[in-house]
Amino acid sequence: MSRLSSRRAASVIGLVIGLALGLVYTWGIAPVEPVNTYPALLRADYRWDWIRLAALSYVADGDLDLARARLDGLEQEDVAGAIQALIEEHAAAGRLADTLRRLTTLAEALDVHTPAMLVYLHTPMLLPSFTPTSFHPHTPTPSPTSTPSPTPTLPRASTSTLSPIPTPTSKPTRTPRPLTPTPTSPPPFQLTQQEQICEPGQAPHIEVVVRDEHETGLDGVVVWLMWPGGADRAVTGLKPRNGAGYADFDVEPGVSYALGIGELGMPLVTDLRIESCPARKGKEPLLGSWRIVVRGFRPSR
Amino acid sequence: MSKRARKWVTRAAVGAAVGLALGFAIGWWLWPVRYTNTAPTVLRQDYRDDYVVMVATAYEVEEDLEQARERLELLNPEEPAAPVVELAERLIEADGSTEDIARLARLALALGATTSTLAPYLEGQP
Repeated sequence: MSRLSSRRAASVIGLVIGLALGLVYTWGIAPVEPVNTYPALLRADYRWDWIRLAALSYVADGDLDLARARLDGLEQEDVAGAIQALIEEHAAAGRLADTLRRLTTLAEALDVHTPAMLVYLHTPMLLPSFTPTSFHPHTPTPSPTSTPSPTPTLPRASTSTLSPIPTPTSKPTRTPRPLTPTPTSPPPFQLTQQEQICEPGQAPHIEVVVRDEHETGLDGVVVWLMWPGGADRAVTGLKPRNGAGYADFDVEPGVSYALGIGELGMPLVTDLRIESCPARKGKEPLLGSWRIVVRGFRPSR
Repeated sequence: MSKRARKWVTRAAVGAAVGLALGFAIGWWLWPVRYTNTAPTVLRQDYRDDYVVMVATAYEVEEDLEQARERLELLNPEEPAAPVVELAERLIEADGSTEDIARLARLALALGATTSTLAPYLEGQP
């Protein structure tokens, strides 16, 4: 009996030692090489960049199916985070409104929401000048269980005509009206003055005055203030004691703001920061506010 | 060594061989190391191609050549333009999307690495 136990013990000890050596070798010394991986396995920063690239490609080609296929298999949390960051970064940098509108359209289609995109949603959009084509030599299969279909089934728009792309929305309350692009016409709002205000006892703020071509204050104009991670909206004329066409925002030092005017939210001023006023003898330095004066055109009725 | 000891060692050696084989099977086949922090360079070929096309497309949108170069250096640190030219030429051979080829050609040109085969795509549709 003891001899039998001893023989079994020898086999078991050998097996355990062999197994341990085998696992050390295959997991530690010579593990399988990473080849033929897919985007979901990328390191976090590369994964974010992949998402950013897919979103920027959507800006160029407007192919939602292709964008979805490229993002298939990635965590929704990653997709949301990367696209939010991209939109906020572009909004703060004062990128083209059309680019931001496309990004927000993609974000909305992917169920991603960020305050900075509010200004660009539900506004008419023109097709970009890029020729909408895409590269499909492959069928991406991010994981064995997923079968994305990158081949676009949506009709491609012609490049010879400009037409609005309907913004995907669950509530079809707004039908984009056809636009006649007038690239040579002046923008509806122009920055005419930007000055620092240094008044003691005032919290840092940005005040905006919108005037028409006759220097009369324009009430009812939507003003957007955007910053990394947020956006705020105001309408001129709601503080009549400050004059017609006036609106203001409370702001914080150390934040880069972008200011957009009107329904289209065209960024007029970017990288607006609260800075110290010039020092005066014997007085504590003040944090200056900003006064932005914009010339708009009264809408024809 | 006594006969009994030799038998014990033989059994242990057989056990170790079986354990080693089992370890190899588990570590390389059944339950291999799973990489989760990979770089674009180990993406499957079709994803790598798509990555290059997306870099070229993003370059058109953002016009940031340095960022495009940094992204491509992840695929080829020595010659970042090489994957762009190589893919463009492969697409030309495979009769791929002319728009993608044109984008790749423009990025290759910006990176200072265009070829005669790409030249027609820089001037418009070949």
